Amino acid sequence: MTRLVVLLLFTLVWAAITGSFTALNLGFGLVLSGLALFLIRENVQPSGIAIRPLKVVALILLFLRELALSAFKVAVLVTRPKMNLKPGIFAFPLRVNRDFEITLLANLITLTPGTLSVDVSDDRRFLYVHALDCADAEAAIRDIADGFEAKILEAFR
Amino acid sequence: MTAGDQILQAAIWFALIALPIAFLMTVIRVIRGPSLPDRVVALDMLVAIAIGFIAVIALKTGFHLYIDIAMALGLVGFLATIAFARFLLTTAGKVKAGTPKPGVEKSGKVKRRSVTGRKRR
Amino acid sequence: MTLWLAIPVSILLVAGSTFSVLAALGLLRLPDVYTRMHAASKAGTVGSGLLLMAAGLGSQDPAILVRAFAGFIFFILTAPVSAHLLARAAHLAQVPLTKASVRDDYGRDANGDRLK
Repeated sequence: MTRLVVLLLFTLVWAAITGSFTALNLGFGLVLSGLALFLIRENVQPSGIAIRPLKVVALILLFLRELALSAFKVAVLVTRPKMNLKPGIFAFPLRVNRDFEITLLANLITLTPGTLSVDVSDDRRFLYVHALDCADAEAAIRDIADGFEAKILEAFR
Repeated sequence: MTAGDQILQAAIWFALIALPIAFLMTVIRVIRGPSLPDRVVALDMLVAIAIGFIAVIALKTGFHLYIDIAMALGLVGFLATIAFARFLLTTAGKVKAGTPKPGVEKSGKVKRRSVTGRKRR
Repeated sequence: MTLWLAIPVSILLVAGSTFSVLAALGLLRLPDVYTRMHAASKAGTVGSGLLLMAAGLGSQDPAILVRAFAGFIFFILTAPVSAHLLARAAHLAQVPLTKASVRDDYGRDANGDRLK
């Protein structure tokens, strides 16, 4: 089931990149996507990921808003004559534990205001996050846990 | 020339002046360093600015094929950055990545600086 | 080009190039490699993405617009990956944090205790 969704997604991306949505091109994209998925068949395990489409859309919307906000915030920060930085790296205790969820969370954190994920601890219990304003790390941890992490848990559990 | 064309031309000229300034500032960072990761970050940024510049050129000349070139450049830039990062990781334990003014940065208030780096993969 | 297409394209152009300049300014002014990465990975990505969208919208061709949008998505997906890898590489290569830094938990748990 998940594979079928991925196959259709790949076909759509192919059609978008080549810029034509004719039946012939979609068919060709389908063949190419199937071939690409066939090549990596041994590296992907079927996973029992339950996707809730509406929650995923909510996640994407939240992400886009945060991305715009974050670019704006960095832009404002560097134009100030005196930058009051208190940067630092804090450990974020993870509640999500599957690989793709951690990847997604790390990517979302990187593109949000003032935070950038650096690494995951070997036992996958902590995500190390570099923050531009680390004066109140507890508040930053709470923001991420209640924001993105909660949304990811809602969307994929 | 309609009003729309005039507005567009003004915006294109704004971009054509602003982007080289950004490019120059990034080049200064590439030259100044001080460490190799700094330079890699700046080179990554150079690629991003070049992509933006190519997009503006596509708009100005009307050759929309330039957009595909910009995307291809984005792909190559991403792979180059990844390769650089891997290179930095493999050499992290052997070569010192940079010598940013010893003594100055060490005496900072940084609590608990990591020294575990070399033990990890 | 009609006025109603020229205005959004011009806004995208000006916003994109402004973000690019500010990202470069951040790269120049911020004190260490980790903080510079913030500027490059956020403002830089958004800047070039907006310029690409301007070119796609200005082409007046849906196929090219969709392609430019796909490029934008691709940049958004790849920027955090390269930023993360570079930050990790820089930390393992022991590039120091700036003097103003207040904490460094890397390799520790939330209480600051070292993980083995």
